[in-house]
Amino acid sequence: MRSRIDKILLTILLIAFLVSLYLVFLWVPQIKASNVSEQIAQKIFYYHVPSAWLGFLAFFIVFVASVAYLWKRERKYELISVASAEIGVLFITLVLITGPIWAKPVWGIWWTWDARLTSSLILWLIYVAFLMLRRYLPDGSKRANLSAVVGILGFVDVPIVYYSIRWWETQHPKAVMASSEGSLAAPMFIAFMFTLATFTLLYIFLMKKRYQLLVLEDQVNKQFKEMELL
Amino acid sequence: MSTPALDLLDVSKDFGRIIALRKVALRVELGEFVSILGRNGAGKTTLLNIISGISKPSSGKVELFGSDPSDTVNKSKLAVISHEMFLYGNLTAIENLEYYARIYKVPNMKERIESLLHSVELTHRRFDLVNTYSRGMTQRLTIARALLHEPQLLLLDEPFTGLDQHAIGMLTKLLLEQKRQGRTILLTTHDLHIASELSDRYVIIEKHQITHNGPMKDTSPEAIRKKYFSIDTEVATA
Amino acid sequence: MRAALAILKKDLQMEFRSKESILAMWIFSLLIFVIFNFTFEVSRLVMLEIAPGLLWVAFIFSGMFGLNHSFAIEKENGNLRSMALMPVDGGQIYIGKFLSVTSIMLMFEILIFPIFVIFYDLQLSLQMLMLIPVILAGTIGFTSLGTILSAVSVHTRNQQILLSLLLWPLVSPIVIWSVNLTGVIINGEITASFYPLLIRVVAFDVIFFTLAYMLFDFILED
Repeated sequence: MRSRIDKILLTILLIAFLVSLYLVFLWVPQIKASNVSEQIAQKIFYYHVPSAWLGFLAFFIVFVASVAYLWKRERKYELISVASAEIGVLFITLVLITGPIWAKPVWGIWWTWDARLTSSLILWLIYVAFLMLRRYLPDGSKRANLSAVVGILGFVDVPIVYYSIRWWETQHPKAVMASSEGSLAAPMFIAFMFTLATFTLLYIFLMKKRYQLLVLEDQVNKQFKEMELL
Repeated sequence: MSTPALDLLDVSKDFGRIIALRKVALRVELGEFVSILGRNGAGKTTLLNIISGISKPSSGKVELFGSDPSDTVNKSKLAVISHEMFLYGNLTAIENLEYYARIYKVPNMKERIESLLHSVELTHRRFDLVNTYSRGMTQRLTIARALLHEPQLLLLDEPFTGLDQHAIGMLTKLLLEQKRQGRTILLTTHDLHIASELSDRYVIIEKHQITHNGPMKDTSPEAIRKKYFSIDTEVATA
Repeated sequence: MRAALAILKKDLQMEFRSKESILAMWIFSLLIFVIFNFTFEVSRLVMLEIAPGLLWVAFIFSGMFGLNHSFAIEKENGNLRSMALMPVDGGQIYIGKFLSVTSIMLMFEILIFPIFVIFYDLQLSLQMLMLIPVILAGTIGFTSLGTILSAVSVHTRNQQILLSLLLWPLVSPIVIWSVNLTGVIINGEITASFYPLLIRVVAFDVIFFTLAYMLFDFILED
């Protein structure tokens, strides 16, 4: 099943990640910070923010696929929603890991019950629950129905969760694209956009692979089943 | 040609790795009594779910009284009796029946319930909680519940499992009465003798498809058994 | 509405016969108050500050009993399948279950509130009347999402744990808002920002009730 497109995609991804590493760590000028560890920690932003964006994109795809499933009742939409939920959880996990790594040198603490942090954690919990639900149910159209319903309810809840904790004082940096002088620094912007594009490509690649694998699993199992029926 | 009670054409149900039915075709005329024989997991329950509109087929055409099974009109013409009771243990017989009567918009609710309780011989226990009933009594109440809204089509999913002789006798009697009144009945069972005693036609489902479909009258249980001898062992263990 | 009311009546008949849910919820809330008192030995002032949160913790934890119970009784004798067979729209069945869960939870809340007032020595005032719309809106938000998610989780073997996993993150906005509103009423003056927040809770209720109403058909279907 390793098609040529996959090989090409993988090659592009490898190169893009190397370029992204170069841009982020060598090409972009260092920010002015009180100490070195803070300077280095700042680099995490180039991976932290794209992960968060892709987490949202992934959950949006879960939502779209869930609606499509309930409409068309086709297995492929169920598989798309599962693949996307899994990858979404992966990216939000990255967010929740990279965040504290940055926070420790800068804020002096790993975690704080800040609005942005709490809502990201809740988001993560919603989709972990979605995947847990699927584990507890036997395969079949019933499971597909139930998880599509949760996929829709979950995504509608996401903006509400963010909204609900907004009035809390947030320590989370807002003007992420501002340089130390406060203006948008062109190199930072370029490096960021490049990394974001690379991450999006990674998402597409992972989606494609995971989906293919799920389809393959179905085919194998169906083949066994058909052999039994002969 | 008149509209049949039930018309299935090339109905398949599969989902991902699961195959539940393969190209099932079945036509049941109004007033016919058909027995569906087959092993557990052969696809009998899926078939009944599709007929009752709970489950949608992946392909093929299903018509119940000439329209889609999930139509509200069709659902009110249908009753299912299975080994599951569809009753609440913490309610009395009367309360259970009143609940269903309200949902199914049964006219003259009180009289209808009284007469049904009488015909299943539960009048003396009508104010008792269902969870104090014996298995046979519960099943009799289940029958009353199913007949409450005078269904045109009865789907019976292994209704004889775990019943005592008395209850089996009563259920058989009631079914024959329903048949006399022109109701269409579909019965899934392991019990070849009951099937041959009651039904006009038998259908055998094996490996998710219909393998035999024939009239009952010129067949003996032994002949069916020969066609499908694996049932033999199950009858022996039942 | 006929079918919804029939379901409501049936559920209430059963509840009043056994009092299973309300009693369990009430005792459980009492336990929560007691345990919190021992685990956080704080001054009265601090206690007043955490009291709104405590009240909602009691409501929500106990509410889980009601939600779990509500669909456990439907699963017991195959009644979930029987509901799918009914000649009524799935939305009707949702409304019926929603009404029964909500009314049982509200009854329990009425029973536990006096205990809360006594334990935390709250000063009763006219402003306290504003708790009625707040508790009503918060409870409806909790039960509108809870009813559909309970119907989802009842299909699994671990329905209780799964309901918590699904419901708590999703219902967290409602809980946060309700705690805030309750805090304003108990500890301070109702300000201009109070009403927009209350409206937000109501908007949440409407969104999730409508969504659940529309989606319930898919849960019954196989």
